[in-house]
Amino acid sequence: MKASTKLRLLKLAILFPFVALAAVIGGVLFQAQGGFAALRVPHGDATPLATDAATLAHGEYLARLGNCVTCHTTRGGTPYAGGRAFRSGYGTLYSTNLTPDATTGLGDWSLAEFRHAMREGASREGLLYPAFPFDHFKRLTDEDLAALFAFLRQLPAVDAPRTPNALDFPASSRRLLLAWRMLFHRPHPFTPEPSQSEAWNRGRYLVDGLGHCAMCHSGRGAMASLPADRYLAGGRILGQNWYAPPLDTNSLARWSVDDLAGYLRHGVSTHGAAYGPMAEVIYVSLRHLRKDDAAAMATYLKTVPAAPAPVMSATERDLRQRHAAGRVVGTAGRRLYAEHCESCHGDDGRGRGLDYPPLAGNPHVVADDAVNSIRLVLAGGIPPTTPGNPRPHSMPPFSQVLDDAQIADVLNHVRSSWGNEATAIAPGDVRALRGSTLD
Amino acid sequence: MSSLPPLSRIASVLVGIAIVVTTLAMPGRARADDADAGMRERLAGCAVCHGDRGQGAHGAEYFPHLAGKPAGYLLEQMRAFRDGKRHYAQMIYLMQYLDDAWLAEVADWYAAQPPIVKQAESGTPMREVDVARARQLVFDGDPAKGLTACSACHGRALAGLEPGVPALVGLPTEYIIAQFGGWITGVRQSTVPDCMASIARKLEPTDLRIVATWLSRQAAPDGERPAAAGTRALPLACGDLPVEAAR
Ligand code: HEC
Ligand code: HEC
Ligand code: HEC
Repeated sequence: MKASTKLRLLKLAILFPFVALAAVIGGVLFQAQGGFAALRVPHGDATPLATDAATLAHGEYLARLGNCVTCHTTRGGTPYAGGRAFRSGYGTLYSTNLTPDATTGLGDWSLAEFRHAMREGASREGLLYPAFPFDHFKRLTDEDLAALFAFLRQLPAVDAPRTPNALDFPASSRRLLLAWRMLFHRPHPFTPEPSQSEAWNRGRYLVDGLGHCAMCHSGRGAMASLPADRYLAGGRILGQNWYAPPLDTNSLARWSVDDLAGYLRHGVSTHGAAYGPMAEVIYVSLRHLRKDDAAAMATYLKTVPAAPAPVMSATERDLRQRHAAGRVVGTAGRRLYAEHCESCHGDDGRGRGLDYPPLAGNPHVVADDAVNSIRLVLAGGIPPTTPGNPRPHSMPPFSQVLDDAQIADVLNHVRSSWGNEATAIAPGDVRALRGSTLD
Repeated sequence: MSSLPPLSRIASVLVGIAIVVTTLAMPGRARADDADAGMRERLAGCAVCHGDRGQGAHGAEYFPHLAGKPAGYLLEQMRAFRDGKRHYAQMIYLMQYLDDAWLAEVADWYAAQPPIVKQAESGTPMREVDVARARQLVFDGDPAKGLTACSACHGRALAGLEPGVPALVGLPTEYIIAQFGGWITGVRQSTVPDCMASIARKLEPTDLRIVATWLSRQAAPDGERPAAAGTRALPLACGDLPVEAAR
């Protein structure tokens, strides 16, 4: 045997266990993401679609709760015709046409293919990006999926070809999505919790399923994943300068079930008013919630265990202390508050009923991440119009009236008054958000 | 006493009626005041830029006044922001989750406010030739270039026409120029046929600046309202507004 051949064999012998191990791990991960199920996209399906009014009305209700129209419509564009851009660190992805156009929409889809896309996140296009909440929609019952599809299929067909995505490699490759799925996608079956009430189970079905609340309200892990231990733990929304607060038993303690259900349908409450992405969710989707469904969601949300708070080292605690907003406010912040804010939010920071939200004891206002407060002061806000609040009050934009330092001052006053204790924000934090009115 | 003298009987009845009428009318009056205060409060968010009755605000001269503009015009603008046809980020942000019913109420309220249309700018005097050219374009148009007179639609007082044609006085030069830029590039769109877009494409940039500057220096008499709907037909097709029969 030649020396070089021997060496090659030796190398192989050494490498073999590693290769084998990699293959085993790969196999396990492949199984974990659902095995071959996702890759087997069904085509034909002779199930006739229901066209009776009750099924269509039910499908429309589900489409509203799933907020399909928000993601599948551009501003001012034809509803459900797709084309909305989703920006992230990986580039821009565009949503698709859900109208029954035969070439550009769902016109020649079968119910089986639709069900497969909604549950497995794969269609004739290949694997679908997780910006499409299939990880939530997979919980929908067969009946609900059939009603949803029946509703989509009777929309007016619109010829709207897909806008090509502008994603960077490797995110641009649908095949490589398999690697992402192997790392992060775990299609656990959804089983009711018999020890909980019917309302609780219905609430969980809506929150985790159609409502896909976790897409915004959960913390993100590596590569935009949604790790289980950050479930509804709050965090920055992917690709947007907005912070979605935690939804759990602690953070929602101040709400009664009725208050919370009212907020979801009306967009206002004595604890806070909706703005930014949440205003959109309510305006387009939740304002159509039936009362019992809203109560069910509130019932469930109020029982979600709080994610453990990140452990803080002694130095971090010390740093926080030194950065407490209370240490940096001078009289400027108080004066600015009295001049510009008090007439609505009150000298005690308690706001006024459903008209003006409280700033005292409001967890958004003391969140470490102050983006929401800064953006509201810069751009103002009007809660969405809803049947329960058809004539909303408003907050003026202050971007022209106050400079960066003044906005930091007045917010540091808010963040350290009436029992609020939060870290200080700096003028630079404000400057960074000027111009992000619409992102 | 069998009966009161007739005169005092009539007097007491009259006094009685007067008391009933005033007590009935008072809460009505108070209700109207409350409704007005309620609207002003709800629209506090708009006041920084547009004034608390839409009369314009100090330090925010770039922003248009709203008071007394035709309700239909105001409604269409607010919907255009909401629906992606007008592209000013701050306005889109505020309008995006408001439904037609509320926007219509807001439009009606601003339309009902007394128009106080001051000249937007004074600045250095304009050259005679420029004034003459501006007046020609505004009141006679330039048929050779296919330009209709502005006053044909906006009225000789430039106070607008219900329901869709706004007043032209009281707007800053740069604001007017920016709107024309928007029409030319398609960034600002109205219901088709978009008459302003076609006019904007025919107006030379030098003429635009002259007209915009001249307009910014005009004022309307206090309380001058847009002409009532139907008092004038438009010489060209604008959205779904009524047009003069072809001659
Ligand atoms: C959070 C945004 C979002 C929501 C909400 C959403 N979608 Fe989508 N959807 C997307 C995106 C983005 C894509 C494109 C994914 C891709 O190209 O991989 C998509 C793709 C799809 C597809 C696959 C289309 C194809 O051609 O392969 C279907 C089917 C679909 N969505 C249906 C729905 C339905 C039904 C709802 C409401 C119940 C809904 N979506 C709600 C963002 C969303
Ligand atoms: C598109 C992102 C997005 C989605 C989807 C979303 N939210 Fe929100 N939500 C936010 C943001 C941002 C806030 C903070 C702003 C506010 O309070 O309006 C918020 C605030 C809230 C609050 C107020 C919490 C508090 O403590 O004041 C509740 C309750 C809430 N969301 C419930 C839900 C539920 C239930 C769903 C699912 C049906 C949902 N959200 C879906 C972005 C979102
Ligand atoms: C004219 C009344 C008014 C004034 C003046 C006003 N606000 Fe507000 N504020 C509101 C309304 C209404 C909302 C709810 C906005 C929404 O939901 O879109 C709000 C919301 C907020 C929020 C968000 C609260 C939350 O739950 O996250 C903050 C922070 C805030 N205001 C701070 C201020 C500060 C600081 C000032 C002064 C610089 C001020 N506001 C002046 C009416 C007002």
